[in-house]
Amino acid sequence: MARAAGSALNDEQLRAVLAAAGASGSWDWDIAGERLFLDASFAELYGLPTDQIRDGFPTATFFRSIHPEDRPRIRIAVAGMLAGASLFSKEFRVVTPAGKVLWMHGRGQCHLDADDEPLRFTGLLVDVTERKRTEERLRIAQSAGGVGTFEYNDGFATVSVSTEFCVLLGLHPADRLPLRTINSVVSEGELALIPEGVQGALPDTLAGEFLIRRGDDGELRWIARRGEVQYEADGTGYRLLGVIYDVTNAKRQEATLRELAETLEQRVAAEVAERQHAEEALRQAQKMEAVGQLTGGIAHDFNNLLTIIIGSIDMASRRVAPSADPRVRRSLEQAMKGAERAAALTHRLLAFSRRQPLDPRAVNVRDLLEGMSDLLSRTITEAIAIAIDANSGVWMIEADPHQLENAILNLAVNARDAMPEGGSLRITARNAVHSGTGGDMPAGDYVAIEVVDNGVGMDEATLAKVFDPFFTTKDVGKGTGLGLSMVYGFAKQSGGGIDIASEPGSGTRVVLHLPRGDASAVEDQAYHPAAEDFGRPSETILVVEDDDDVRRYAVGALCDLGYRVLEAADGFAALDLLRGRDRPVDLLVTDVVMPRMSGSELAQSAHEIVPGLGVLYTSGYPHDAIMHEGRLGEGVELLSKPFTMQALAAKVRELLDR
Amino acid sequence: MIPEQVALTELERDALTEIVNIGVSRAASSLRKMIGEQVLLSVPSIEVVSHRRAARLISEREVAELIAVRQDFRGPFSGRALLIFPETNSLELVRAVTGGELSAEEVVEMEHEALAETGNVILNSCLATMANMLKRSLTMTIPEVLRGNGATLFEVDESGAEEGLVLFLYIDFAVRMRDIRGYIAMLMDIPSLATLKELLDEFIASVVGDDA
Repeated sequence: MARAAGSALNDEQLRAVLAAAGASGSWDWDIAGERLFLDASFAELYGLPTDQIRDGFPTATFFRSIHPEDRPRIRIAVAGMLAGASLFSKEFRVVTPAGKVLWMHGRGQCHLDADDEPLRFTGLLVDVTERKRTEERLRIAQSAGGVGTFEYNDGFATVSVSTEFCVLLGLHPADRLPLRTINSVVSEGELALIPEGVQGALPDTLAGEFLIRRGDDGELRWIARRGEVQYEADGTGYRLLGVIYDVTNAKRQEATLRELAETLEQRVAAEVAERQHAEEALRQAQKMEAVGQLTGGIAHDFNNLLTIIIGSIDMASRRVAPSADPRVRRSLEQAMKGAERAAALTHRLLAFSRRQPLDPRAVNVRDLLEGMSDLLSRTITEAIAIAIDANSGVWMIEADPHQLENAILNLAVNARDAMPEGGSLRITARNAVHSGTGGDMPAGDYVAIEVVDNGVGMDEATLAKVFDPFFTTKDVGKGTGLGLSMVYGFAKQSGGGIDIASEPGSGTRVVLHLPRGDASAVEDQAYHPAAEDFGRPSETILVVEDDDDVRRYAVGALCDLGYRVLEAADGFAALDLLRGRDRPVDLLVTDVVMPRMSGSELAQSAHEIVPGLGVLYTSGYPHDAIMHEGRLGEGVELLSKPFTMQALAAKVRELLDR
Repeated sequence: MIPEQVALTELERDALTEIVNIGVSRAASSLRKMIGEQVLLSVPSIEVVSHRRAARLISEREVAELIAVRQDFRGPFSGRALLIFPETNSLELVRAVTGGELSAEEVVEMEHEALAETGNVILNSCLATMANMLKRSLTMTIPEVLRGNGATLFEVDESGAEEGLVLFLYIDFAVRMRDIRGYIAMLMDIPSLATLKELLDEFIASVVGDDA
């Protein structure tokens, strides 16, 4: 203390020591004597005459240079000290005689006598201006940046924190907070915000993110922690120095972004799945196409052969004498049956390969279904309840009615076979509008004919193959495996499509989509079989066929029926015959596919010679030449190979009688 | 919300803090004489809060149950003073004020008595100093030891009815190298607090004079 120092040298020495320690002055307040003793530095700071140092100053001098804004505060604090408070530690501004404002930290204590009465109040002033500015910068940085600081010494129960730190965690602002108070805001399962050494090895860095529940409003927030672990030089402990700041918004944006990314993945996955589905559908279509071409080709060749076989058996049957061995007749009948079955088979193959000749007409599906109810009742066992439902509002369609009946019957039989223990079969028709997406049918109006059973159903593997020709789930000999293939081919050829859905144990649902027909189309009456199939010698028929055996059979058959018959092996020969005849030819019966000149080319040239000449095509393989989008052209009649004599007779008669 | 007529200004808060600090300094001196060791007591800050807020302030900081010494005071301003410690700190405090010679059993035995006596010294010093500095007199009841959590100590009314306010002081102890934290709470009704505020203003005027 300056007053106690005694000599000038000691004063000088003390002053040097205090200056080195950063002190800007010291005071000794004699409470009882009401006198303030200051050292030279203090006097200099306040601009007091140094020659009065020994005698001291009035106590009010203490407050003279204190900034007016800080003065009341310091007066109160000093009043406390003079009344016996033990410690003084205040920061305040001092205005120097030059007008400079300095921040001072005054630290002092009260000295009591034996009766606990305050004697002296002594202390030191330290210039903390520099530190204050730094603190100010730090405070601004903290509040502007929303950054809270903390400092934790290993082993302590409390943590030094900044106001912003408390605000971020929703805690009541304080300089020190208990460790567990801070860590209690962290959500369950998260690590401690301020780790204690006892928890194990300390991390090298304090970088981390914590989900907390704010103390005041209970809101969940994300807090980031950054900082350093500083080890004491003697290796005995450490300090954790760090900052925290709120990263909730960033976290939320991150979450939104991640969600977007995740849904992107989902979208991509959906897209890929759809693509795979489309590829699978394409592969299936290509397979069906390839199988169709193959079966179509085989069927065509078989039909030519069957035409000869059937024709020849027919011929032989007619010529066999009544007196002949009955076994000959039986054999011929067996041969005919076999050939007819073969013909039916090739016909189905053609149907599947979409090369069966269709004869589309305007069809009222409701009437058609009603007309089938007898047939269905006969075909389906009594154990199965049949319900047919189509209201009068169902649109007209354009389709081959016979093939449609055939298809529905096929589906009904499949349904029956799926319900050996009985069940219910429901056939309905309704209008359906397709948008053109998600399927292979073009957009437009369709009539959907549904055949639904509650039978055994099918698994996925079976479903994938149901339309394949010769694929069957039925026992050997019970089905050809061509039923659904035919229905498939028919639906496609008619410009529609077919859907099938099934699960083991929960039945099967097949939906046949057929395009809506022209509303103005008039329902055709069923074709009329001619009452009399035989011909007259006055009627001349020209047969053109490149296959000698088939031609020979057709010519023979027509002669037998009583017609005059001319024959030609190709179109040119046929045209020659047409030109050279005095008597007109009444009907041209021609194969479609022939070398040099096709059936339709021949028909065209023939019409130039004989306008209005009737034409009947025969073919085992209807070709584009006469098929327009799978349908016969206007005024064209077609007799599918193989054909029986009766069928030929009926068709020829029908054309001649028109 | 704290009503306008009892909300303390910064200067009033400073003045009250200094007055309480004189009180705890006296208490520290008394304790030092009792146990023959240096005792440091300081009150770093002071607040006026509702009972509910006071309960939350404590429970925010203290996970353990609390132990409190209670004394009622009567005078120009009346109320109830509480010296509060976390229960876990209580035996520590007893050990600190009784010296290291006692066995664990003896400490437990003496806990109640030692706490009541310590609390009496501290609370008495604070209240007497306040009365003295504010030039008024207060009478006090004998100390009582209570246990409970923040809500029970502050008699938080769950119905949310109007309640008094709490003068909430943080208090730091340092005895025999032990750091013990505690709280002083003075529960007062609004008229009492308004009177206290007036008396503080008188005190400030006398100390600060023309500088205010």
